[in-house]
This record gives sequence, structure tokens and C-alpha cells, in this order.
Amino acid sequence: MSEGAVLLEVRGLGRRFEPRADRGEAVFAIRDLSFDVREQEFLTIVGPSGSGKSTLLNLIAQIDAPTEGEIRFRGRPIAAATAGALRPGWDRQFGYVTQDDTLLPWRTLIENVLFPLRVQGRLSAQTRDRASELMSTVGLEGFERYYPHELSGGMRKRAALIRTLVYDPPVILMDEPFGALDAQTRTQLQADLLRLWNLGRKTIVFVTHDIAEAIALGDRTLVFTRAPARVQSEHRIPIARPRDVRTIYGVDGFAETYERIRKELQ
Amino acid sequence: MSGGRALRDRVLVALAVLIVWQVAALVCGPHWISPPLMTARRFGQLALNGELARHALYTLAAAAGGFVVGGVPGAVLPFALRRAPRLAAILDPYLVAGYGMPKLALAPLFILWFGIGLASKMALVASIAFFLIFFSTAAGVRGTDVRLVAMARVAGASEQAVARHVVWPSAVPYVFAGLKISLSYAIGAAVVGELISSNRGLGYLIQAGANDFDTTTVFAALTALTLLIVGLNALVEAAERRLLRWRPVDAQPARRLVTAA
Repeated sequence: MSEGAVLLEVRGLGRRFEPRADRGEAVFAIRDLSFDVREQEFLTIVGPSGSGKSTLLNLIAQIDAPTEGEIRFRGRPIAAATAGALRPGWDRQFGYVTQDDTLLPWRTLIENVLFPLRVQGRLSAQTRDRASELMSTVGLEGFERYYPHELSGGMRKRAALIRTLVYDPPVILMDEPFGALDAQTRTQLQADLLRLWNLGRKTIVFVTHDIAEAIALGDRTLVFTRAPARVQSEHRIPIARPRDVRTIYGVDGFAETYERIRKELQ
Repeated sequence: MSGGRALRDRVLVALAVLIVWQVAALVCGPHWISPPLMTARRFGQLALNGELARHALYTLAAAAGGFVVGGVPGAVLPFALRRAPRLAAILDPYLVAGYGMPKLALAPLFILWFGIGLASKMALVASIAFFLIFFSTAAGVRGTDVRLVAMARVAGASEQAVARHVVWPSAVPYVFAGLKISLSYAIGAAVVGELISSNRGLGYLIQAGANDFDTTTVFAALTALTLLIVGLNALVEAAERRLLRWRPVDAQPARRLVTAA
């Protein structure tokens, strides 16, 4: 299931944040962090809040630069402490779905979904069709002309997800994307995500603080320590796909894995 | 507030103002304060013989010309400085100093440089519009949500695309706040320029009226000025509503209160 080639290598990664003027000391959000992500793997990462998970994704997405170590993508170093200017998204190789949906409030839903294609100069009848197809896959047809503030949190989240899928980046980074939603909407979105992932398997790095979510979605789960974050342990998820997130709690292997991870997080 | 009630209350306020004006004119005498009806009659005369339009157009030309000459660079510069933070830091104290300098004190200098024609009034208006629009636009550019910028960059947007699709729409409400504030200042500056030296414009009409102890003409000219500013403001607000029609409806009154301050 996840025995593809190594796609992403994180090696000795560290990010130090300088203190504000004469207050406190410099702190490492992550330090000595090393792990691999394989092609088409769904990797989930859990850790206590404030354990540098978002910092890690920002470093991979290249909207922030590491202080130590490096990140390699398909064997090529893409981010290193010594590297020059940042290249956010590394030429559309990384899609990023953040905690807040970051839809542009002045654009309608469809214009938000088409935004990456428009700025990449790839708007065509074909890509537009793909966008509307994705919209209806997650039940957003009929809401194309609405502005984000007119829609529910769940719908905005779906739109943000579709906006990332529409330009087909090989890797998608997700930072607690369903954190702010109610339980029912969250389950629905998790099911949507698994369905979309099954259609065209991408590599996903999914950060969450919810152990059940990490198990339900992932092929493999990394448990992070408190800041500075390092990999505390690694868990292969012994649950076959396709999975149904609604009934996953009763499936063999769920309870044991859950218990193991919960103990480590304490 | 419902539209009908608002309109009725506004008419009541207008009546109250007219009554106070009339009473003041009766108390002080029409030579000091021209009563409403006399002012209206003079306004009508000047409007019919074309004098009012001639003067108002001159003032409008000075204000509009200066607005373009000063306001456009004022709106563009913050976008350029966003890409050059070092240059922005170097220029900052000078821009603050320029903003703080009383521009009306420059009027005699501009007249020396550009003569008593339209150019000197335009220069005065431009010097005011530039700083007002620069600082409000700069606040909007600075206030752009960094998460939206990061999202756009990750999605493959170039710096130009970020400026156009993310920074500009975020800054639009601030640009309009600057526009509305500088609008009355711009007209005011044009009028001051005309008061100092001119043979046309509403400022000239006021000056000429006062020299003849003709307060009725002064009041009529002041009325014309006020109407001009109100009309221009309505135009700007219409443009703003069009550009900001994506906004939630209930956010509008709050915004208007803020920008009117």
C-alpha cells in the first residue's frame, strides 16, 4: 500500500524562532527531525499542540526556511538551512490546505476554486470541467456563485480542498484541516477526502491532534514529541482500504493502535 | 434603519438647519448672514446665466487634475514599496514629514513656480492627495492577510499576480477611505489656491463677493461648493459599492462609520 519510492526526505530539520526584543530565549519549534514519506502514501502526524507540526508543513511548503538540516524531494534538496530564496509550493509540487480555509473573500466559490489555474495560466475548457466535476464530487454544485462568507465552515473547507486538488500537485500538505468543524461535518469531510484520495492517489502529509482521525485516514502515523518536535514513534495502521470512517472505531486493529498512540502522547 | 424613515429624518434635519440659518440672518442682518431665500435666488441667477457652471468647472478641473497627478502615484507607490522593504524603511520618515507639512503653506510657492493659472492649483491639490492616498493605501497593503498571500504563492501565483489578486482587493477599502477623505481636501485646496490668486473658480467667486460686501454671492458659492463635494462623494461611494459588492451586507454600516471618521 505504501511501498512506493521515497518521495520526501526530511533530514535533521530544525527551525529556531528568535525571541522578541529582550524577552525570553530563542526556541526551537522543531529540531533534529528526520523521516521519510513514500510515493502515494497517506502519512498522518499527531503530536501535542504547539509541537511544531504547522512549522514543519510551512517548511515543506517553503513559505518558511529551516535553520538546520534539509528537505529532499525526489532526491533533490529543495529546502536547506543554507539555501537561498524560498520558492513557495516548489513549482506547484506541493498543495497546502491550512487550518483556516484561506479562501479569498472577494471571489465567488468557483472563482476561488479556479484561482490556482488562473494564476498559473492554465484556465481552459478542460480544466474548468475538472473543477466543476470536483465541485459536484463534494456536493458544492449550485453554490458556484456564492461568496465564502455566505457558506458554512464545512462548505468552505471543501472548496479549499478542491482548490488544491484542481491543479493536481503530487503532494498535498494538510494542517488540521477539519479541526474547527463539528463532529458530523468532520466525519463527512474525512469520508470525502478518502474518496478523493482513492480516485487519484496522491501523497498526503496530514497533521492533526486527533488520534482517531490520524488512524482513520493514514497508512502510517508519526507521533511527535513536545517542542522541539522530533519523531517519538512510528505506527503502521493495520486497517485495510477502502475504509469507512463512520464504522472505523469497531474495525480490528483500531482500538489497539489508538491505545498505543494515546499512551505515548501522555 | 429603514430607507423611508431615514429620508424623513434627514428632511427634518434640513428644515432645522434652514430655520437656524434664517433666525441667524434675522438677528445679524442680511449684510452679515445672507438668508436662505436670498441665497437660493442668487444661486438660481448664477446658475441660469452660466456663471456658476463656469466657476465650478474650473474648480473641479483643478481638483480632478491634481487628484490624478497626486493620487495615482499615491496609490501605486505602496505596491512598489511592498517589494522593496529596505527602500520603504529609508523613505518612511521623509513621507511622514511630507504628510505632516501643512500643504496650504506651499500655495504661494506653487503660484511663484507655476503661475496663477490652473497648474498651481493642481500642484496644491496633488501635494495633499498624494500623501492622504499614499498613507491609507499603505495601511491597506500592510494589512493584507499574510495567510492569503502564502496560499497564493503556494498555488503558483507570481509576485505580480499576488499584488493584483490578493493585495489590491484587500487594499481597496483603504484606498476608498483615502479617496473620500482627500476629496473634500482636494476641493478645499483648489479653492484656497483660487482665493489667493485667480480670476476664475468658486474660490474666486467667494473672494470677489466678499470684496464687494456681497455676502449673498459668498453664500451661493459656498452652497455650490458643498453640493459639488456631496455629488463627488456620492460618485465615489457608488464606485466603492460596485467594487466591494462581495462584502457581507451587515458589514457595510460599520465600514461607513469608520471611513467617515
